[in-house]
Amino acid sequence: MGEDAQMSRSSIRPGGDRLFDRYLDPRRPHAEAYDEMFDPVEGVRPAYRRLHESLMPLQPGDLTTRSDALDRALVDQGITFSLSGQERPFPLDLVPRVITASEWSRLERGIVQRVRALEAFLADVYGPQQIVADGVLPRRLITSCEHFHRQAAGLAPPNGVRIHVAGIDVVRDEQGDFRVLEDNLRSPSGVSYVMENRRTMARVFPDLFMKHRVRAVDNYAVHLLRALRAAAPPGTTDPNVVVLTPGVYNSAYFEHSLLARQMGVELVEGRDLFARNNMIYLRTTEGEQRVDVIYRRIDDEFLDPVQFEPDSVLGVAGLVNAARAGNVVVANAVGNGVGDDKLIYTYLPEILKYYLGETPLLPNVDTYRCWLPSEQAEVLDRLDELVTKPVEGSGGYGIVFGPDASAKELAAQRRRIRSNPRGWIAQPVVQLSTVPTKVGERLQPRHVDLRPFAVNDGESVFVLPGGLTRVAIPEGSLIVNSSQGGGSKDTWVLAGRASDEDAELRGSGLAARPRSDGATTPERGPELNIAQQQQQQ
Amino acid sequence: MTEPLNWRLRVVHTTGYRYATAVTQSYNEARLTPRSDDRQNLMVARLETVPTARVNRYTDYWGTEVNTFDLHTPHTELKVTAASVVETAAETVPAEIATWAEVRSAEAVDRHAEFLEWTTYVPKHRELSAVARSLRKGRTPDETVLAVSKWVHDTLKYQRGTTGVHSSAVDAWQAREGVCQDYAHLTLTLLRAVGIPSRYVSGYLHTKPNAAVGETVVGESHAWIEAWTGSWWGFDPTNDIPIGHRHVWVATGRDYADVSPLKGIYSGGAATAIEVTVNMTRLA
Repeated sequence: MGEDAQMSRSSIRPGGDRLFDRYLDPRRPHAEAYDEMFDPVEGVRPAYRRLHESLMPLQPGDLTTRSDALDRALVDQGITFSLSGQERPFPLDLVPRVITASEWSRLERGIVQRVRALEAFLADVYGPQQIVADGVLPRRLITSCEHFHRQAAGLAPPNGVRIHVAGIDVVRDEQGDFRVLEDNLRSPSGVSYVMENRRTMARVFPDLFMKHRVRAVDNYAVHLLRALRAAAPPGTTDPNVVVLTPGVYNSAYFEHSLLARQMGVELVEGRDLFARNNMIYLRTTEGEQRVDVIYRRIDDEFLDPVQFEPDSVLGVAGLVNAARAGNVVVANAVGNGVGDDKLIYTYLPEILKYYLGETPLLPNVDTYRCWLPSEQAEVLDRLDELVTKPVEGSGGYGIVFGPDASAKELAAQRRRIRSNPRGWIAQPVVQLSTVPTKVGERLQPRHVDLRPFAVNDGESVFVLPGGLTRVAIPEGSLIVNSSQGGGSKDTWVLAGRASDEDAELRGSGLAARPRSDGATTPERGPELNIAQQQQQQ
Repeated sequence: MTEPLNWRLRVVHTTGYRYATAVTQSYNEARLTPRSDDRQNLMVARLETVPTARVNRYTDYWGTEVNTFDLHTPHTELKVTAASVVETAAETVPAEIATWAEVRSAEAVDRHAEFLEWTTYVPKHRELSAVARSLRKGRTPDETVLAVSKWVHDTLKYQRGTTGVHSSAVDAWQAREGVCQDYAHLTLTLLRAVGIPSRYVSGYLHTKPNAAVGETVVGESHAWIEAWTGSWWGFDPTNDIPIGHRHVWVATGRDYADVSPLKGIYSGGAATAIEVTVNMTRLA
């Protein structure tokens, strides 16, 4: 194609520099993807100019030295991510990803808009369902959603917030424009890596931070705690906030404990809590403590055995009814999954227009809905070109890349779609943008996505500048999920020229860590796991 | 047309459990309060427990009144008594009769989607679908509801002990035996197979058609169905009779799981139901 020819002739190949040797090889897979460091005509993009200058003097051996230092630092910090049951260091690439102030400001506005619309949508879905009554969305779209939890109907949180934390996954398309790939409104994880990656990078590359004005990410927990306290039931003067974890075997336990420590609140498991007369208490060695807000990292299905899985011992019996009575706030709210269903995602433009009267600032990726017969026919016709995804689920499980699938896999996928059209959507293969990534002793383009984190305190939606950049390590791979063996990058949002934002290494923020575990020790309660009910005669 | 509300009934439903070892905590939801609509009027309702507990209340997604209570003192027996007084109307006929095209219109299908879905209790079954299709032949939707109910009534033998609280429509059909819960689920399986929106109704049945005022009879915790053929109307497949004075409805849902009269979670020994009685007295 013309673009390839243009690339091979262009002068952007970074000279004789060995780090970037054959970086923009036109024969590389997905050569039409947008590279965030190099413009095929103009060369190094402005955002990356200083970073590029800093990298140029490095010898290939230096890369390995630096990268070993990073790995050691990560192991010291204890960051691991469970992959198929095995613990291994979460690979942090040494080249950061850079986003300019103006790019960020557009992205941020798009995310805030999205969170506001989804909040309004969830309030409506679990309330009057006006959007259905007005004929904007089919009722069946909602009632057929696996995560539409009828147990949450009529449950209205005191300050109206259901999406205390959102993780909005975005990618950059071939033009470099950000598009939303999926919303995560239940328990989006990964923010601990954002903070820890930054801490590690600052330790290993202090020189790089001196040359850039990178916006700080270490105040995330301050924003989260503020939002959780603001969510507390009215009349609570000093809300007792806890982080509820499924326990030490959960893959994100590290994150749960980090957030609890940074917020200076108790990290608890289900058996540490109990409900009595629609109030929630924490058992401690010093007696019972009323709990006002629970930042839970347990899925809805396991949260309350009275309402969901009756044999779950991870949750707290009676929690949902206590929340319904307004005596405790569950964050994120029960039933948020209806807002991040990938079929409902395709209706985001309608949802935005209905609740906010606005058009999307951040477009979706073009998506086909298998549940509409006409679109399903097209998907089945072009299955070998499209990516098909289950509407529910994350972590890359169940996704079929048409171009990589065998005839047998495609046939199996065709059957799956036909037997459950509501369960699948399809998208063209998006050529995710690339960022230089250390591969061996060279830097190679590798595909990335981005999960920015938004925190809603009811007054405003704060978006942590940056987010988790995930990178697909195998050459040509477009699958960036950490559960599929991907790595990560530190994500730099550059401060605007006139900005008075704290930049990294310019304040005292980095080294400061809030207090560790509180003085009280949780006690355990009995397990509740027997269900009783009676046949109707 | 609404018939005059000419029966007034008192319903006293008592459920007792005994536990093998003391229960130290339990969390319970009761769906035992009769509703009001154009053929039934709830006058008063009360729920009591032994050991005593504070009872909280909410209305669930299906519009059912739910009483919740939890217990924190060790106990080896639990008794739950739900008492109410309701007025019930005589038999009614469906207010509107829809054609098959109307029942299957995109608008009706979208509005009633939840009552056309398959569930664990009401699963899709090839042979039963074929039965339903044959019963539909030459009949309007409302006639089909009556034909299906009669078929279920004739096919199953009323027998306690064969099926349990978790049995599906197919389980009961294969056993050719069951109780009202099974009759209702089997009817729903057939109706949904031919695209008639239909729902499970939980309630009570007064067992004596000609009861005198003041006479108390042993009633039943009962279940029947409602179908949408232009409007919602009920039918009782267990007895192959229309819904009338003797039926007191409490809740509707997709199947039993949505309306379970009493369910709970507790820590302690195995429970046995030691007492389930429904006393119904015609007051007027």
